[in-house]
Amino acid sequence: MRSIRTRAEPLPAWAWALLATVACSQSVPAPMPAAAADAPPRRGGELHLASFADIRNGLDPVVSPDGLSAGPMHLIFAGLVDYDAEERIVPDLAERWEVADAGRTYRFFLRRGVTMQDGAELTADDVKRSAERALHPTTPDANASTFDDLVGFAAYAAGKADHLEGVVAEDRYVVAFHLAKPDATFPYLMTLPTLRPTCRTAGDRYSDTWLPCGAGPFLLRPGDWKRGVTLRLVRHDAYFRAGLPYLDAVEWSYNMTQLAQRVRFERGELDIVRDLTFADASRFVADPRWSSLGVVEADVRVYGEAMNTRVRPFDDVEIRRAVAAAIDRTQYVLMQPMTTTAMDQALPGVVAGVDASFPHQRYDLAAALEHMRKAGYPYDPATGEGGWPEPIEYLAYDPGLPALTSQILQQDLARIGLRLHIKLVSFAAFLAIQQREGGATMSQGNWTLDYPDPSNVFDTLFASSAIDPSGSLNTAFYSNPALDALLARARVEIDPAARMEMYRQADAIVCDDAPWAFTFGYHAFDLRQPYVRGFVPNAMRPLDATRVWIARPAPGARAPEGAP
Amino acid sequence: MFDPRARARFRRNGTAVAGTAVVAALVVFAVLGPLFASHDALQSDFAHGVGPDRLPVGPCAAFPLGADRVFRDVFARLAVGGRISLLIAISATLIASTIGAAVGIAAGYLEGRRFARVLDVDGVLMRFVDVLLAFPFLLLVMAIGTALDRTSAVTIFLVLGLTGWLGIARILRAKTMQIRSLDYVVASRALGQPTAWVVVKHVLPNVAGSLIVCATVLVAQMIVADSVLSYLGLGISPPTPTWGRMLFEGQEVLGAAPWMVAAPGAAIVLAVWGFNMLGEGLRDALDPHEG
Repeated sequence: MRSIRTRAEPLPAWAWALLATVACSQSVPAPMPAAAADAPPRRGGELHLASFADIRNGLDPVVSPDGLSAGPMHLIFAGLVDYDAEERIVPDLAERWEVADAGRTYRFFLRRGVTMQDGAELTADDVKRSAERALHPTTPDANASTFDDLVGFAAYAAGKADHLEGVVAEDRYVVAFHLAKPDATFPYLMTLPTLRPTCRTAGDRYSDTWLPCGAGPFLLRPGDWKRGVTLRLVRHDAYFRAGLPYLDAVEWSYNMTQLAQRVRFERGELDIVRDLTFADASRFVADPRWSSLGVVEADVRVYGEAMNTRVRPFDDVEIRRAVAAAIDRTQYVLMQPMTTTAMDQALPGVVAGVDASFPHQRYDLAAALEHMRKAGYPYDPATGEGGWPEPIEYLAYDPGLPALTSQILQQDLARIGLRLHIKLVSFAAFLAIQQREGGATMSQGNWTLDYPDPSNVFDTLFASSAIDPSGSLNTAFYSNPALDALLARARVEIDPAARMEMYRQADAIVCDDAPWAFTFGYHAFDLRQPYVRGFVPNAMRPLDATRVWIARPAPGARAPEGAP
Repeated sequence: MFDPRARARFRRNGTAVAGTAVVAALVVFAVLGPLFASHDALQSDFAHGVGPDRLPVGPCAAFPLGADRVFRDVFARLAVGGRISLLIAISATLIASTIGAAVGIAAGYLEGRRFARVLDVDGVLMRFVDVLLAFPFLLLVMAIGTALDRTSAVTIFLVLGLTGWLGIARILRAKTMQIRSLDYVVASRALGQPTAWVVVKHVLPNVAGSLIVCATVLVAQMIVADSVLSYLGLGISPPTPTWGRMLFEGQEVLGAAPWMVAAPGAAIVLAVWGFNMLGEGLRDALDPHEG
């Protein structure tokens, strides 16, 4: 065997250049040139977006949208109603609606002359057919039970009825939804993609080979969705809002690393970047040329430490209260200061009726130690004696924010005598374990709002009905009959003020019982090139491209100094 | 290393001496470093570790190598991480060397013989090695690591040790076959010495040099493997520091806080380079004919 001698060769010049680039890449390039701020909207151009992940669940509206499919789905499929800039529900494909029968009937009057992407006119029959398609028992959808208040839902979902009795096409342009009991959240449910009208090409049963087709401002052409790579939607020229959309196309690239996104954004190949690292975002924001081009979206995701109330030691409410009081939430948000806000209650700020002055879960180490004493496990921080005798397994996924915040939590809880053992798993394994009864003793819970109403948080995360031994969204497996009764009453309460008061009481119960120790709200941070214009601020539709236009400078205009 | 001529050859090899010095320095740093650190490696310091831009502070008097994402002292974590990374690498190497030597010597010594006229021990062992070698090493380690509870140092070095012996087995097999045919070994066997005696008296001393060289280089490979596992999130669970995990946690803020990646990155590079140079030096010193 001959020896392979190695020598200490000096680094080649390119390596030094690379190191210097990495070490000194503190400055950011100038924004791309743009037309004057008062330039009017104009047609044409494309919007390019990207993500480090990929669409998981497909683009059929009957399939639960994931974080990446919701945006394109919204552009392909218009709904009967939608949100305005203040997150109020307003008519969209419907020109108006009325509530009748003491809140048991919602009657929608459709706009006339709405052309679907297959060229046919939208009618009430399309709405009924789409609803029956979405809620049919053969449709692989986890959202169907959301609409179980519809009259005849049980028989239809069980396959005992050919049609859904509660959805009635009363004439060509009027469709009524009849509910078994009043439901104040029904208008919110109609903002979800599930029941959005589909083209007749969809048929009346789900098929995974169908090319998504609706009445939205952009349409998908065959071959324009390359799974895992790109999705391209082009303008629906017959969109019912005359003159919209302005863009010729919107294109998403998937599975693109954060670094690649930043580089392509700096080169103008992406028009908006949403997946900047915290450090990169900080650098852009610190640059006066970019500081006005960053957009902090609203908190639409709530995070907390979910404690399994059926597993020791968290079957003891005093231990849970101790955890809620031991967490210093200001430290949590230092992990991602650009995208997180400290939170001590169940409802993020975007939810109507949030009472920020209400005393929720607060950091109070003395109180936490007192709760430990009441639980029968007093802990002396001076000597380190006492506390819960066994290590507690904390489940987190990696890579991800929990891998960092879990280490903060571990330090916080050590101060009150709770020793965490952090177990990192993949995200898929995390979900499987967390949602199984007895799967995780403690884990990070998070919930992204489907709609900005308290019911979406409380009914989903803390109601007994949300417990499912094999796949529970109530990851604390928390059950409180008093809370269940309150939530049931709130759901049917039509008076908004009375309803909000009930949710305040629900918030107080959940904060006190502490199935979750709430920690922070999450919001996205976007950086947009200055030529991207026309976004309407909307917490639920942050990147709605319907009214967006591209304002490039006129040919011959000078680019700013330093522009690439 | 026991032969004065080998020692002299080693001392004349500047690169090998430098590698030894680097390895020694890293071991000293890992052992004594935590004693000189101003912070506990596992405790965040939110009072001093957070910079005005809300990023972890860079190298300064309180944090000689800066602070990490959780606002802990990178110096303290690098030293403690060094203990763990080196402990895992050396322990895994000891396991791999033991298994590799046993399999390689057994296969090489029994090559060409059949037990009960049927069992070809060498063939069975080497085909088993071939099968395992057909799997990419890291893929194999990751698969085992994922299947097991991979949250302790013991698990990691067992996984690495139980999968890292294949190369050593092949090399020692060839070396043993060569030694087995030497005249004095043949004579010893002809005089009726038991196989175990022949192996211990003649084979082991002759393959020891190759084994030491292989093991030294294997330490470097184990450091890389442990770092890769930690980097991929398959290593020891946090907050226990390892160099690979530190590298992983720092990558998101590479542009703004390069010290978080530079410190563990440099430690890995130095350790790998040091052990490789040490191994090369030992090979040249112990077996000059192959140099």
